[in-house]
Amino acid sequence: MGLELVLRDIEAGYGAVKALHGVSVSVSSGETVALLGTNGNGKSTLMKCVMGMVRPTQGSVTLTLADKTHDLTRLSTEEIVNLGVAMVPEGRRLFPKLTVEENLLLGAFRPQARADIGKNIAFCYETFEVLKERRRQLAGSMSGGQQQMLAIARALMSSPKLLLVDEPSVGLSPLLVSSTVAMIKQLKERYGLTVLMAEQNFHQAIRIADRGYIIVHGEIVFEGKTVAELETNDLVKNYYLGTAT
Amino acid sequence: MIFSFELLLEAVVFGILLGCFYAAVSIGLSVSFGLLDVPHVAHPAIMVFGAYCTYLLGQYGFDPILAGIVLMPPFFLLGMGVYRFYYETFEKRGSDAGVRGIAFFFGLTLIIEVGLILVFGVDQRSAEAPYIGKALSLGEMRIPWRFIVSFGVALVLMTALTLYLSKTFTGRAIKAVAQDEGALRLMGADPVWIKQWAFGIATAVSALAGAMLIIVGPVEPSLDRVYIGRTFAVVVLAGLGSMTGTLAAGLILGISESIVLMHFGASWAPAVAFGLLLVVLGIRPQGLFGR
Repeated sequence: MGLELVLRDIEAGYGAVKALHGVSVSVSSGETVALLGTNGNGKSTLMKCVMGMVRPTQGSVTLTLADKTHDLTRLSTEEIVNLGVAMVPEGRRLFPKLTVEENLLLGAFRPQARADIGKNIAFCYETFEVLKERRRQLAGSMSGGQQQMLAIARALMSSPKLLLVDEPSVGLSPLLVSSTVAMIKQLKERYGLTVLMAEQNFHQAIRIADRGYIIVHGEIVFEGKTVAELETNDLVKNYYLGTAT
Repeated sequence: MIFSFELLLEAVVFGILLGCFYAAVSIGLSVSFGLLDVPHVAHPAIMVFGAYCTYLLGQYGFDPILAGIVLMPPFFLLGMGVYRFYYETFEKRGSDAGVRGIAFFFGLTLIIEVGLILVFGVDQRSAEAPYIGKALSLGEMRIPWRFIVSFGVALVLMTALTLYLSKTFTGRAIKAVAQDEGALRLMGADPVWIKQWAFGIATAVSALAGAMLIIVGPVEPSLDRVYIGRTFAVVVLAGLGSMTGTLAAGLILGISESIVLMHFGASWAPAVAFGLLLVVLGIRPQGLFGR
């Protein structure tokens, strides 16, 4: 399964405010890549550029699937989703007044996912038992952790080839962060998923990442080819671990 | 006032039939306003337009119900067109879409009303069918067939829409679209297309409801004014966007109006709709079946 996501020299922002300055990131088949950085450094903007929710003013975003290259800057969000890219957005963005099951079924809206709907929903209920118990409950009435599980499960319902996860740990207790991350890891292994994850919790992110980028003020300041490289980097120590001055 | 059990029973039976009729004329609005958040004040005017189209087809020998069904596809297209125009000129430009949308749909109401007056004049028009003017006798009670017909159509519409909204991918997207358009895009659905499609369905349903209107009684161009309050009351009372709720709210309104009508006189009946609405919203702000 050949898959390659390449973002090259991306400049993007919101009106006069520029969030990304010449960022280049790539993700290929089977990898889990972490995008590390604290709040307000451009992680979400980068994710939105991939999904066509923010249009870069310069640079290119391409997705190569089965030897065919798609220019994502020219496609709408819906078309990008239909290529097999799913995103768990920041803040989860569930449909609060629909039930858990209705949310999951909407995840399978794209035509290619409809055939797999039975298999996918069984898998989601098996992986996240609490969702099965609460399938008739309104999504908005569940706890933060359960909503996060539902958001991930809903993204999986689209049988994605590439999964983008934006800040899975926000608003969750440390224990839930840990189990959510473990869940993503398990899913990735079972599905052979390719994952790009934005996260500010360094320790959790490197538990599942193969490699990562550190983004500061809209620029990539360090690219770690391995987790070990990330762990020993001075910048990481400076930003996250507080050991350097 | 003399209390009589027979009179009360008759009021309740008639109220149920009237209630189903109210539900039938409100269900289109339950989709367009309840689910899509479009301030569709032209809904009753579109139904009256549907009633006049039914009348026209009647001139060529069409049965009113058949005419209502035949009118559904063209009204579906009409609805998609109206929504697209509304979207491009108002909604797309954002922020105060609600307020400006009301202006748009009021304008549409006036255009339809004036158009109907110019073409048909202000006189009442009615439809002819074997079931209009006859009544079913049940003991002492006489139940007009025209209300039984609208009762059946209301149940069919309600069931069909409930199934469509819960069992199809497009139906579920219609339920979700007003909650978070951005999230719906992430599911691979185009929210504008979904809304346009749903508005088409709401308008097609209004064509059939228009046929009900002319079956139940004669129509005139300004008839929409009678229904604007009632239909909005039913949809809000129901809990925005609930089809089952629309039926329940229609029944509650129909039964209470009919009891008030028989015991206190006709002039009190219209006040019932809003009296009820105020009481229910005071206790349950999300409406009876609101989520």
